[in-house]
Amino acid sequence: MTIETGVRRPYVGQNVLRSNDPKLLTGGGRFIDDLHFPDMLHATIVRSTLAHGTIEQFDAGAARAESDVALVLGPEEIAATTGLLPCVWLAPGQRMTHIPIASRKVSYVGQPIGIVVADSRAAAEDAVEILDITFAELPCVVDSEASIAPGAPLLVPEWGDNICAQVDAGDPRDEIEEVIARAAHVVERRLRIQRVAPNPMETRGLIARWDAADESLTVWMSTQTPHHCRDHLATALALRADQVRVIVGELGGGFGAKEHLYPDEVMVCLAAMRSGRPVKWVEDRVESLTATLHGRDAIHRARLALDADGKFLAIHSDILGNLGAHPSNVGLGPFRVSMGMLPGPYHFERAGGSLTAVLSNTTPTGAYRGFGMQEATWVRERLIDEAARELGLDVVELRLRNMIQPHELPFTTRTFQPYDSGDYPEAMRRTVVAARAEANVTSVGRIRRGLGFATHVEFTGLGDSRSQQIVGFSLGGYETAKVRVDPDGSVSVTSGVTGMGQGIETGFAQLAADHLGIGIERISVRLGDTASAPYSATGSIASRSMTVGGGAVVTAAGKVRDRMMAIAAHQLEISPNDLELVRDASGRDVFQPKGSPDISLTWEKVAESAWLNWNVPDEFNTIGLEETFVYNPASVSYAYATHAVSVAVDLDTGLVKLEGYWVTHDSGVMVNPMICDGQVLGGIAQGVGIALYEGMRWGETGQPTTTTYLDYVLPLSVDIPNVKIEHMVTPSPFIPGGMKGLGEGGTITSPAAVGNAIAAAVPEIAGLLLETPFSPSKLWTMIDEAGLHV
Amino acid sequence: MKPPVFEYRDPRSLDEALGLLNEYGDDSSILAGGQSLIPLLNLRLARPDYVIDINKVPGLDTIEVLPGCVRVGALTRIRRLERDPKIRAVAPALSDAFQNIAHPQIRSRTTIGGNISHADPSSELPGVLAAYDGRVQLTSSSGSRWVSWSDFFVTVFTTTRESNELLTAVEFPTDQNFSYEFEEIARRPGDYPLAGVCAGISLDGSQVRAARLSAIAIADRPIRMTAAESALVGVDISNAAVRQAASQAAAAEINPMDDEHGSAAFRRGLVSTLVKRTLDRLAGVPS
Repeated sequence: MTIETGVRRPYVGQNVLRSNDPKLLTGGGRFIDDLHFPDMLHATIVRSTLAHGTIEQFDAGAARAESDVALVLGPEEIAATTGLLPCVWLAPGQRMTHIPIASRKVSYVGQPIGIVVADSRAAAEDAVEILDITFAELPCVVDSEASIAPGAPLLVPEWGDNICAQVDAGDPRDEIEEVIARAAHVVERRLRIQRVAPNPMETRGLIARWDAADESLTVWMSTQTPHHCRDHLATALALRADQVRVIVGELGGGFGAKEHLYPDEVMVCLAAMRSGRPVKWVEDRVESLTATLHGRDAIHRARLALDADGKFLAIHSDILGNLGAHPSNVGLGPFRVSMGMLPGPYHFERAGGSLTAVLSNTTPTGAYRGFGMQEATWVRERLIDEAARELGLDVVELRLRNMIQPHELPFTTRTFQPYDSGDYPEAMRRTVVAARAEANVTSVGRIRRGLGFATHVEFTGLGDSRSQQIVGFSLGGYETAKVRVDPDGSVSVTSGVTGMGQGIETGFAQLAADHLGIGIERISVRLGDTASAPYSATGSIASRSMTVGGGAVVTAAGKVRDRMMAIAAHQLEISPNDLELVRDASGRDVFQPKGSPDISLTWEKVAESAWLNWNVPDEFNTIGLEETFVYNPASVSYAYATHAVSVAVDLDTGLVKLEGYWVTHDSGVMVNPMICDGQVLGGIAQGVGIALYEGMRWGETGQPTTTTYLDYVLPLSVDIPNVKIEHMVTPSPFIPGGMKGLGEGGTITSPAAVGNAIAAAVPEIAGLLLETPFSPSKLWTMIDEAGLHV
Repeated sequence: MKPPVFEYRDPRSLDEALGLLNEYGDDSSILAGGQSLIPLLNLRLARPDYVIDINKVPGLDTIEVLPGCVRVGALTRIRRLERDPKIRAVAPALSDAFQNIAHPQIRSRTTIGGNISHADPSSELPGVLAAYDGRVQLTSSSGSRWVSWSDFFVTVFTTTRESNELLTAVEFPTDQNFSYEFEEIARRPGDYPLAGVCAGISLDGSQVRAARLSAIAIADRPIRMTAAESALVGVDISNAAVRQAASQAAAAEINPMDDEHGSAAFRRGLVSTLVKRTLDRLAGVPS
């Protein structure tokens, strides 16, 4: 990758350097733990040390007597003064729909049950040790298959089982079964995607400050969704929404884990209101691994049916999804999206899934980069490779034979996904050509080599509101941008989405500069403060900031430009159609009659007169230069990609080395290709983590055993090969600006590509490669049992 | 993740440090590089009443390449050792082992004394010390004693160091007739290994006069694989079947346990592979 620094106009499509980076690279970034307030107290959260049970006693007498302890709240005091947090995405028949802030019932190790506030974090942690808490222990269950076995310990005894909800998607089951029954060939496998932790570099954290005189709560918070957190804080604390202000400064990553308000975060705000002093809490890494929502944890019993010619007939998966101790904010969402996105870029006569979502005594699972689509891709793309192996077909040829062709788009899948635009076969062909030309697939001695492929179509840019209503996702699917030119000609852009290190501020500045027609240096982008940002129900999730948020910026900027043009035309006494906005020889943005460069009005002069309300068109019925545009997209947009990876497998150690990686990716118009590459690359790294390294584990008593980075293994930079990224650009047909979502594609497909590459390298074990991660011990054992150790 | 309350002492001389150890003994922990102790404190897995920080004690960060041995003062940082050309000249396998310890940032803090006295059974240096038949110097207010590696390591995180003693130096004998190789298998570069082997042989032509094979991460302390060593004595190292036989003997004599990083069979397989690879290199055969 080369980073171009010379920036030309239009800015869209240029590698404009990220506006936040100088600050971040010189230590000027301010994350939650960098903020300090006078008189501030420090909190630690009291957590359940038991996987399942009831708190019989919570005696804080000794802790409260410590001179440096300001406040201790136990589960009953918290529950008595807080409301429940609602799940925003409910499935039909979902038996649990709200989460208590605290309860005497504990259902996983790490569950927040109280809070201690002291002069320092260390003093608060010391005080936790002298709390007298007694639990009545109950038997626990951590595994989803064990959770539905007869006689399993029940999390909610009155249900009679641990099943929170069951839902189907796609074609009716009997129609799918009928197609499968008459198929010449059916590949059926049990595939598993392990439990992973999102691991943002900055853990969760917040500082809450209650102003008793003003009766207002200000919260500096590490979140992707400031308005959503504000609304739920108001609900939980019985405040009006206007009494709560949430401010997001720098955000050191989210990956989906920071898409909602957590009960422990409410406790910190409650403590600030009770103590009357600012309270800081920053999650430590052990808490991040055990008390921040996890992702994945699904078992698929999946079938791919083909006719005698290798034509796909049907795909279906029975999914057992592990919700953990309670459904998250998005409930069964990731598992449901797995069903919806199971067909990928292929034709099927029938397709669908059946989901059983169960509770267990583990950390709840929720949103994580890829949101069900990584699991769907793993299942589908491994099944296709298995089908090719069984039928003796080429893995690429089999895929291309069944792909949706570009002329068939728009195309609605059997699972009701309205794919919009693109050329799926072309992305595969390009990747295959590059990878097959460059990959080393020569096995030498005990080192086996292989090349694997995987492809996907990706649901990006959550909206529109009507579709969200149909699926019961109770957040508005729109975004609002506000663009204002100030009297000095400077421009401020605000939006309800948040920057989380992905560089959205830079991308918005590029869009605004182009659609205003001025230099990017004039533009500042301000995000993340509910007191000044437009309302955003959904926030920065689901690869939507640049699509839905960007679409709003494009339109609002265009409206401001039109207004500037109208004023300038009025003052030059010509039609706006005869006017242009150009950068003149001395670098000024000026309005000129077309073909008359000696007559001009500067951008600043027009801005000044607009705010003076002097010499503006008579038909103007508002004053100033501010436009707000609420953009509710017509639909979601669909990005896609094909990945290829070459691996070397050491038969004697089970170690896998990724030697080469090729991607062809289409996320529509690329506002900033360098940032696009970074998103794809970072996504691949997280996918490689799933394929080879990561995984939460629990002991029999429900104690998590992967609570530090000694045991929870993330990929290092040396584990990620050089990635050759090629972009195709098929503009979204309806998003203003043509962008599609980009943040998740790298993660969605890479695990399947790695799995297929290992299968290609060691075909003797291909049929066993069904459960990530492929640790050396797991692969070595498969290799050993295949008789490959002499 | 903050440490429990402790009292901090930072002695300015060896005598003062030993005096504090005499006084606080089992109630204290010694802080050297801090790469194990600080995480243990922050996780509240270690709860000493006193932390005795020896970083200001002078004279403990020495490197001496002497006739017949490399002697290193306990406070010497691994980063310095791995770049020391004198050590690489006489004990290249030792230099290789240093570079396998964690990551450069960690090695710039880690001390050799802290690394060895922590007695982590997955740690590289205890295994290398075993293969070199090395020893450690333990010092108390009443004097110093040298203890061989085999008498020093007891079990996981446990040694025969008395609570009033400080590990003050480590000695790796450098018998001119021995050549060594070290290799480990880790999930990622810098991780604790899943298994590691240090192999040394003394040759007469191509005939093995003596062999020393140690392994780490397969028992509760570093071990020597004596059956495999015996199998090598007197044989021709250039014979691949001999090296193969030694690797199988090593796999047969160890008793690894199943754990969450892998099965016993996996560990045996890794040790067999590592013995073969290190012997191949000692025989001049690229593996």
